[in-house]
Amino acid sequence: MYRYDEFDERVVRQRVAQFREQVGRRIDGSLTEEEFLPLRLMNGLYLQLHAYMLRVAIPYGTLDSRQMRQLALIADRYDRGYGHFTTRQNIQYNWPRLRDAPDILEMLADVQMHCIQTSGNCIRNVTADHFAGVAADEVEDPRPTAELIRQWSTLHPEFSFLPRKFKIAVTGSAEDRAAVAVHDIGIRIVRNAAGEVGYRIIVGGGLGRTPMIGKTVREFLPKDELLAYLEAIMRVYNLEGRRDNKFKARVKILVHELGAEAFIARVEEEYARLDGPSLNVDPAELARIAAYFAPPAFEALPEGSAVLDQAAARDPDLARFVRVNLYPHKMPGYTAVTVSLKPIGGPPGDATSDQMRALADIAERFSLDELRVTHIQNIVLPHVKLDEVPQVWAALVEAGLASANAGLVTDIIACPGMDYCSLATARSIPIAQEIAKRFADPDRQQLVGPLGIKISGCINACGHHHVGHIGILGLDKAGIENYQITLGGDPGNEASLGERLGPGIDAEQVPDAIERIVDTYLELRHADGESFIDTVRRVGLDPFKPVLQPKEPARAAA
Amino acid sequence: MPLLDRNGWKPESWARDAAAGAAIVPFDQVEAVLGARRPGQRIGVDLPNDVHPNALLPWQDGLDFVAIAFPRFNDGRGFSLGKMLREQGFAGTLRASGWIIPDQFAFALHCGFDEVEISEAQAQRQPIDQWLQAPALIGETYQDTQDGMISIFKRRRAAAEAA
Amino acid sequence: MAAGKRAALPLVLTASDLLDGDVVFYAGAGWARGLDEAAVAADEAQAAQFEAILAETEAKGDPVAPYLMTVRIDADGALVPGHVRERIRSRGPTIRTDLGPQARQERQHVSV
Repeated sequence: MYRYDEFDERVVRQRVAQFREQVGRRIDGSLTEEEFLPLRLMNGLYLQLHAYMLRVAIPYGTLDSRQMRQLALIADRYDRGYGHFTTRQNIQYNWPRLRDAPDILEMLADVQMHCIQTSGNCIRNVTADHFAGVAADEVEDPRPTAELIRQWSTLHPEFSFLPRKFKIAVTGSAEDRAAVAVHDIGIRIVRNAAGEVGYRIIVGGGLGRTPMIGKTVREFLPKDELLAYLEAIMRVYNLEGRRDNKFKARVKILVHELGAEAFIARVEEEYARLDGPSLNVDPAELARIAAYFAPPAFEALPEGSAVLDQAAARDPDLARFVRVNLYPHKMPGYTAVTVSLKPIGGPPGDATSDQMRALADIAERFSLDELRVTHIQNIVLPHVKLDEVPQVWAALVEAGLASANAGLVTDIIACPGMDYCSLATARSIPIAQEIAKRFADPDRQQLVGPLGIKISGCINACGHHHVGHIGILGLDKAGIENYQITLGGDPGNEASLGERLGPGIDAEQVPDAIERIVDTYLELRHADGESFIDTVRRVGLDPFKPVLQPKEPARAAA
Repeated sequence: MPLLDRNGWKPESWARDAAAGAAIVPFDQVEAVLGARRPGQRIGVDLPNDVHPNALLPWQDGLDFVAIAFPRFNDGRGFSLGKMLREQGFAGTLRASGWIIPDQFAFALHCGFDEVEISEAQAQRQPIDQWLQAPALIGETYQDTQDGMISIFKRRRAAAEAA
Repeated sequence: MAAGKRAALPLVLTASDLLDGDVVFYAGAGWARGLDEAAVAADEAQAAQFEAILAETEAKGDPVAPYLMTVRIDADGALVPGHVRERIRSRGPTIRTDLGPQARQERQHVSV
């Protein structure tokens, strides 16, 4: 894991002191609310439906037990004993007070954490593959690149008042688990024909009210040119991105309106005039950052684990957990364990402070002191010995964290929705809870197989509904919450946007509709266990359309 | 309008009048005014923030001063514009003019601005000590800046090599 | 709330406390934490007065993000926000009835 040096430490401490001073000037009237708003947003503080909300950055989703314990302590001391893990690999507190925010930032700084640029029209927290350093198909660990971008983008004098927010994601694997095609900039670490490692740069993807898949603007950028090239992209965007309409201000609209070729030409022109050597960092500095992400001290272990096999043979619940929540590790004898924050009937992504402490304890003892937050709103224990999975599982059961549903139909992404969010047009969490209850039977979930349901409570699409295999979008229809269903979205390698199945339906109809969609899929899928998304891609939407018809006539006939 | 730089309030030495000895003129008049320049007259230009810096290239050597408009404090185009003008060799006085707030003063200085021109009302609300103290609040940057700060990346290397 | 047409009568004036972020309602003399304490504008004259207070509050910036909100008065005389969003905002999250004003009210009921 990255550790701050004296420079990083000073920036974060100074930032806390600056915010304390800014709050003071807000209170004494020197700053108007309008002027203060972007300043507090750039420190992660929103005003939400019931209270302020504080979003803490977890860069590329990586944290250690000490940091997780501090997050738990903050939840207890300054919030209501819980936190919400988000699709940007962050954590949000729903009830902090403005007057306490500087003290919370101070507590975060004590464990090398911050809220810098978790909101506002600036370069946001950089995300990365949650299986970084674990996956066998990795060209290179994406986290050193993400950390480099984090530092370069921090308090950037030129790019802190952009037309709109700007999100960057990095993946180093063949399989894209970071959804790079739907970010403002997506970066894939690739190898060229000569075997050199570099970056494929994708720009202009995004969700929200105008979902778009990003365009590749550079097939191969040499690794040491990254910052200058990013600087060129940001400059074109800062100057030319639309500022007349906030709904058209993201870079995806600029790329779309200019056309990819013209956009690329602008970027290359700007890139040519920039002083690249001065902007790019010295290879020794890259190496310094990368060294923090060197593989931890893995033990030489045999493939497989008799201990685990025997334990799983004795306990069907453990066996199920092993089947569903384990991801293969590149090192023999190790595995990555997904801890689902999606208990049946619980708010997706929420964890209590006790659960956070339990996770910290488990990570410290069994996962080389490391945890990851996933954009699916779960936690990963990245480096667990197979032999110790039974102990980890027992500890998770104890903490109420052993739901065996990773990647299944109840592993639902949901934004906070109208229960918390001031922008929402409908509730998301109760919809997720009701759907999960319908599929509570673990055998049924396993029969259905991999299926991602994603729910957003408004058109801004924080719940990523466009790339849900089943997407649900909550809207306000004349004062009533109304839900549109899309099918066929996918965030991965073959990124695609879902298509609307038909007119919106009421909240109470949603669980029925989802069940009927799943039943239709089960009837249509090939016997070889064809997945939901593959089936939808093969048969199209038509066979699913009848599920939105009201059931009433059938009931009347019965 | 009140004018300040990193040392405090300062008197205005320019006038938005093409006949003045130190004249600020609108961007679309720059060619004509430069053509009719009196000996010893200093010319500056008011630059809207939607003009690409390339457009100033033909004239910039004849200009002593550029004021870049900040129509709203959260419209950050001016930061790129200022930095790009410096990068393309503009060596005169660079002013941020309009609505910028003390919390952005460091960014403006880092992007190559020398001074800031704000409204009377804003000057009343945000006294000079707030402006002077703001840039000192963050004393480190991850970027090289136009006002001479060296990026943390480079300072680390320098420290490592010195060790 | 969206700019444009003013909220329909009867209405209350609501905002968020600057320092705590709590939902607050204009209560005649100052701001109250509970909707039941809110002052109600029932006619155009009172609504105009509320709009003036809204403008003043915006200029002052404390409490923050003020707006007018339509309510109805139920059979028991209690104020009920007209829109589901406002009902949730005035009570607390529907998925966590232990949090927000709804919890405060329940605790009060218990103590009575």
